Amino acid sequence: MKSKILFLSLFLVASFTFGQTTNVSGTVSDSGNMPIPGVNVIVKNTTKGTATDFDGMFALDDVPINSTLVFSYLGFQTQEVVVTRGNQTINVTLTEDAEALEEVVVIGYGTQKVSKISGAVSTVKRENLEKLNAVRADDALQGQASGVNVIGAGSPGSKPTVLIRGIPSYTGTDPLVVIDGVTQTLDDLNSLNTSDIESINVLKDAALSAIYGVKGGNGVIVVKTKSGKRNTKTTFSLNSSYGLQQVINKIDVLNASQYVAILNEASANAGEGIIFSDISGYGKGTDWQEEVFKTAPITTHNLSAQGGSELTSYFVSAGYMSQEGIVGGGDKSYFDRVNFTANFDTDMTDKLKLISNTSYANIKGSSIAENSITGVLSNALNMDPTVPVYDEDGNYGVSETITQEIVNPVALIANTYNKSNTNKLTGKLELQYDVLDNLKFTSRFGYTYVDVYSKNFYPLVYYGTGHNSTTANADLSAITTTDDDGNETDLYSNRVSESRTNYFNFTYEMFANYNFNIGDDHAFETVLGMAIGKNTGDNITASAEDIPFNSWKYADVSASTDSESDTSSSWQYETRNISYFTRINYDFMNRYLLSFTGRIDGSTNFGENNKFGFFPSASLGWLVSEEEFFNPGVMTYFKLRGSYGTVGNDNIEAQYSTISTFPSYTFGNEIASGSTLETIPNEDVSWENQIQYNIGFDTRLFDNKLSISADYFNKTVDDLLFDPTLSLYLGSPEYPTTNIGKTSSYGIDASIGYNSEFGDNFKLSTNVSFTTSVNEVKEINNGNKYIDGSGYGIPYTYITRFEEGYSPGYFYGYKTDGIFQNQSEIDAHATQDGAVPGDIRFVDVNGDGEIDDDDRTEIGDPFPDFTVGWNLALDYKNFDFNVFTYASVGNDIYRAYERNLNYTNRFASVLDRWTGEGTSYSEPRVTFVDDNNNTRASDRYIEDGSFIKIKNIQLGYKIPDDVVKKNGLDQIRIYGQVKNAFVFTDYSGYDPEISNGDDSVLDTGVDRGTYPQPRVWTLGINVKF
Amino acid sequence: MKIFKNIALIGLLMVTAYSCTEYVDYDPAENYEIVADIYFESSDDYESAVVGTYDPLQWMYLNILIGDIASDNSLCGGESATDVVGLQEIDDMTHYASNDNLTSIWTWCYEGINRANYLEENKEKLEFDGKAALYGEVYFLRAYYYFELVKFFGDVPLFTEYRLTASDSGTLERSEASVVYAQIETDLLNAIDALPTTVSQSGRVTKYAAQALLGKVYLYQDKFTESAEVLENVIGKYTLVSDYASQFLSSGENGTESVFEVQHSSASEWWDWGYTPQGTEGNYGIIHNGPRGFSGPTYASGWSFNVPTEDLYNSYDENDTRRDASILDMEAFAEANDASYTEGYEHTGYYNHKYIPRAGESDAQTELNYGTNYRSIRYADVLLMAAEANNRGGVSDTKAQEYLNEVRRRAFGDTDHDITATGSTLTDAIWAERNFELAMEGHRFFDLVRTGEAADVIDGFVEGKHEVFPIPQQEIDISNLTQNDGY
Repeated sequence: MKSKILFLSLFLVASFTFGQTTNVSGTVSDSGNMPIPGVNVIVKNTTKGTATDFDGMFALDDVPINSTLVFSYLGFQTQEVVVTRGNQTINVTLTEDAEALEEVVVIGYGTQKVSKISGAVSTVKRENLEKLNAVRADDALQGQASGVNVIGAGSPGSKPTVLIRGIPSYTGTDPLVVIDGVTQTLDDLNSLNTSDIESINVLKDAALSAIYGVKGGNGVIVVKTKSGKRNTKTTFSLNSSYGLQQVINKIDVLNASQYVAILNEASANAGEGIIFSDISGYGKGTDWQEEVFKTAPITTHNLSAQGGSELTSYFVSAGYMSQEGIVGGGDKSYFDRVNFTANFDTDMTDKLKLISNTSYANIKGSSIAENSITGVLSNALNMDPTVPVYDEDGNYGVSETITQEIVNPVALIANTYNKSNTNKLTGKLELQYDVLDNLKFTSRFGYTYVDVYSKNFYPLVYYGTGHNSTTANADLSAITTTDDDGNETDLYSNRVSESRTNYFNFTYEMFANYNFNIGDDHAFETVLGMAIGKNTGDNITASAEDIPFNSWKYADVSASTDSESDTSSSWQYETRNISYFTRINYDFMNRYLLSFTGRIDGSTNFGENNKFGFFPSASLGWLVSEEEFFNPGVMTYFKLRGSYGTVGNDNIEAQYSTISTFPSYTFGNEIASGSTLETIPNEDVSWENQIQYNIGFDTRLFDNKLSISADYFNKTVDDLLFDPTLSLYLGSPEYPTTNIGKTSSYGIDASIGYNSEFGDNFKLSTNVSFTTSVNEVKEINNGNKYIDGSGYGIPYTYITRFEEGYSPGYFYGYKTDGIFQNQSEIDAHATQDGAVPGDIRFVDVNGDGEIDDDDRTEIGDPFPDFTVGWNLALDYKNFDFNVFTYASVGNDIYRAYERNLNYTNRFASVLDRWTGEGTSYSEPRVTFVDDNNNTRASDRYIEDGSFIKIKNIQLGYKIPDDVVKKNGLDQIRIYGQVKNAFVFTDYSGYDPEISNGDDSVLDTGVDRGTYPQPRVWTLGINVKF
Repeated sequence: MKIFKNIALIGLLMVTAYSCTEYVDYDPAENYEIVADIYFESSDDYESAVVGTYDPLQWMYLNILIGDIASDNSLCGGESATDVVGLQEIDDMTHYASNDNLTSIWTWCYEGINRANYLEENKEKLEFDGKAALYGEVYFLRAYYYFELVKFFGDVPLFTEYRLTASDSGTLERSEASVVYAQIETDLLNAIDALPTTVSQSGRVTKYAAQALLGKVYLYQDKFTESAEVLENVIGKYTLVSDYASQFLSSGENGTESVFEVQHSSASEWWDWGYTPQGTEGNYGIIHNGPRGFSGPTYASGWSFNVPTEDLYNSYDENDTRRDASILDMEAFAEANDASYTEGYEHTGYYNHKYIPRAGESDAQTELNYGTNYRSIRYADVLLMAAEANNRGGVSDTKAQEYLNEVRRRAFGDTDHDITATGSTLTDAIWAERNFELAMEGHRFFDLVRTGEAADVIDGFVEGKHEVFPIPQQEIDISNLTQNDGY
């Protein structure tokens, strides 16, 4: 084929040429030795020319000796080279003419120059990633990428909440994650070694995410891992760090002396007697928070090597990360990760390239109960402070008065036994075949195999006689009961459960990239391809009772001494999808950009009548600064962008009508299995279609030192998926998900960057990212007009709602209006059952003269009005300094960690309680009999969770080169780092970042004792050799 | 030209690569799911679906608790005033339309009805031996669920043809209680025709159980002669156990006095609080009745709900063996047996002795797996209903006395306590006897309402309102149903 083209070229150019001519060829690369495809190579003052291929190579025949070749490429300085001799090899290194301009962004099924992109993308650079030293890649996105709102999690290794441009749906807000072209999930980021990452791009608008079709609706995080470069010597890089993590603050609760005094008052107020006749001598008692928080280490070691020969390049790395939790710590709360990565690519022939990326990760962990009323922190806050950690016999102290849920948190930690071990293999095998210089086929097989083993042991425990969590006698022997016939049986048994889960997902993709020009002014970059994929998972779980010695050591199903107690269960799933996709990028005269993207997705999950969906998008860009009329003054670069398109949200399940064989009934003593209809299908169900549009601009000013990028977006979903709330008289089968809701989100994301060098020694680089979105549920056609989100407490009270006319997940409850100071105030107020002076006055919102459930209303919003991230990097001689600040403004928190039993501990605010007319206008009286239900869900528990966090401060020092080189090394850098150095917030709890973890996004902002993010003091070293 | 050639090449490759949309078709069998289309192909499938229709009987612990808590027999109790707010409100007669517990009852009963209707819907698909008797059970169960609904809520949506689907949501209206009762009668009459008098498995519905339930349904409508007549069929088919207390022990389950008994078992190894009471074979009501923080022999710890009042305890004659069988005097027991316990909310010192957690009768997650059966219709109940029907219907006071005294003789172990009154004095005696005999078994509130005594006996009871409970607010919001008067 190539020879024909050469022949054709030869034929075409022959008529123009005379004199002595020769053939020239060569490679065009950038300053980093990366080949640049698509560089125009033109013989000066002629129309003769070509463009470099994917490997940056070009060849021109019959070029006159002494003619000049002009190498030009957008974003690079044009370079001229004179042909001096025959058969000359001309290798050209182009220099970037502006720093940001040359950047290549990895988008779906290809890369694109930043300047040619007409969609919205945020990029996090490797330098910033490295400085953050993040455990998870998604943590590193916080405040770095505009349009991305990350609510961090404190528990080791756990997933933060990641919202890209608002909350269009209440199910599945996780964005799609694509690592080196292989589609994965946000959960998979727990196994990715952050030091292997080259770059992270976030595809925010439909123009870019539509190539991922039904999976693109929540945005796409595109991760590129490092790879080696051709013809470079091997460089080794060693990074190690050691850090200590501490809790940042504690919550003010009553000490023992205060506790006994308040309890006496509460009891007296209820008309009951004094509980503690002598309240002296209690002292401070036990500070339970002090007992559960630990200073915990975090260690990372990474060793990598990269390099390349003429035909092959590689990147290999090994990583180890070990993080203990600050709550519980040690073997009770930790996250250990080992990574091995090997990325190879090799030219098998001139035209055929093989890329093989393989990553193995092993994750071991253990966790303690958190973010629930029975979690460790909730117990530490609510436990009676008069109880000692250990009694005089050395056993765990128990409360005689608290008989439910709340227990000695130190004992709770000790009684927590679980572990999990995950092995994960991910990677891809990819073949690239250059059919022509500008036509490339790619065949890619991406896979993820995960094997998770987990074990939980529930020993017999003692938290006090009569406590509802107690399952053993004080000496941990089994509690036996004797029936009237004198038969003795154990009331409770210890139990172990083991589970093994496998996941295997693969995607096979085949696509072609074809780039061509028509004339000088029309440039096309096109992609056409297809993908098939399969996701499978299966689990088997077994459990058994009566583990010998009540011991974790023997905790295994096989060790059970009661074989009749064995139970087992299993589940499995398989989904398949098939997709076709295309993208055409067109640019006219390097200044008018047009792009069209489309994807057709079919999935086993879609309803029978909606098996395939089509997701198109289009975008326009105008590089104003390339126009003739543009007069570069202060502004050197200006681009306008706009896009419109459709993407989906892939959050439905396969639709079919099933019989459940779960129901059962007992006849005599025999359990008979029964059946009934379990699910009813909706054949018409479809994915959620999002219509998105985006307009934005990019500009650079002052010699490209200042860059600004801003976007406005608007997303609407007309067919939001819901589990409909149907008439209760339909009974309780699973009714089909239907497309009955409507939401809209709009907002602005912007980033401003400034880079400058002052003299030879001082460099400043700073950027600010700004993210905001306004979300509204427009319509819910389920009868109720709302669905309950998340709640707290015992009895469980729903506190968040997804409701028509409101922001998703807003807080819902009573409004308070101070404290009733006297009876006449109560009489003057709407009827409020049980109220006496000193109780909270609730607002009669609907004005019906009665305080009841109908008076509940909007009392807060857990999502911020906006977030701002500010990164500042200074380099002075061998020193580098980096500060990252993140602010979240307008997010409310519902304080849900107060148990409020009569004998549980109380919070410091109670010291300002009402004790008589005029004594308090905000804090009600204390009482054992709360007929007014002062503790009902109300705005009393809402706090402003706005915060500014100095998330990261790092100071590094590069050992001077002469010292380093003497020792045969290339670079040594040492650094000290403080994460979460300062937190400025009015929130009274631990941490105003309340992530929803693995639960629904509607759980955001409910603080039931969330694992706080620690402050981390780290020392580290980077060595290159 | 080159361009077109390349595009054609790519296109060819795409087409040959994979054009098979079957790849995304889904067969539920891949995940071992049984689909509805291939069900009801064998008699086993029908048998299974009938078992599934029995299943909701086991969920209705709240129906039973409320029968006493709403009445003068017991207080709600629990840990505190906010422990299960819905029940506390019912106890205090301050309940209103938003009540999770009433919503549960509503949903459970309708799930039972829909399961029965699913069988109705598929009735003609297959003929097999024993089908008629099997459908007799289905009709009994449907009647049972509708009877619960009509007792609790009065007028309720009525449907019998098929299992409702999503498109039926919001389309139904409430039928008058009398219409619902007529359907219950029809179902029970059909059941009586089809059911055998003896069954091989304990807990299966018999003809007598259907007749006893029909007698009760008549009585609730003051159809005394019909009630007397149908109950007469059951008289003599059962015998009262001599030791009253023994029938409430596990050894006394499905005894000679048991006409219809909801079966439970501790063997299902249930752990999941979230899907309780539906998932377990255990009786979730039992743990509610248990003494709080109990440590000692015979019994096991519970949540101190449904605590009998001192008035109830004192209403018994000292020689009545039913007092101590029905009510456990915990203070006395603790002292005698060196047991300890903590006081819950509204502590009275008394516990429901009939349905108390007993040592060793549960398994797995202890709270969820008590195997204690619920004695839904006891022969003593049948006798007292028959007595009442004969008396109030003017059929025969002699018979009424006979049936009443049969119950009393067992209770006192002698004939000295026989009642000889007639007319309305006899009626009062029968009503009083019903509570001595059936206290703490979930009947009291409905008997008080039925007999018009509720307003006199229950504090806070408003006549014309509290005879029925409010239709759940959620259902009113979704389905646009009307609300009962006063709510």
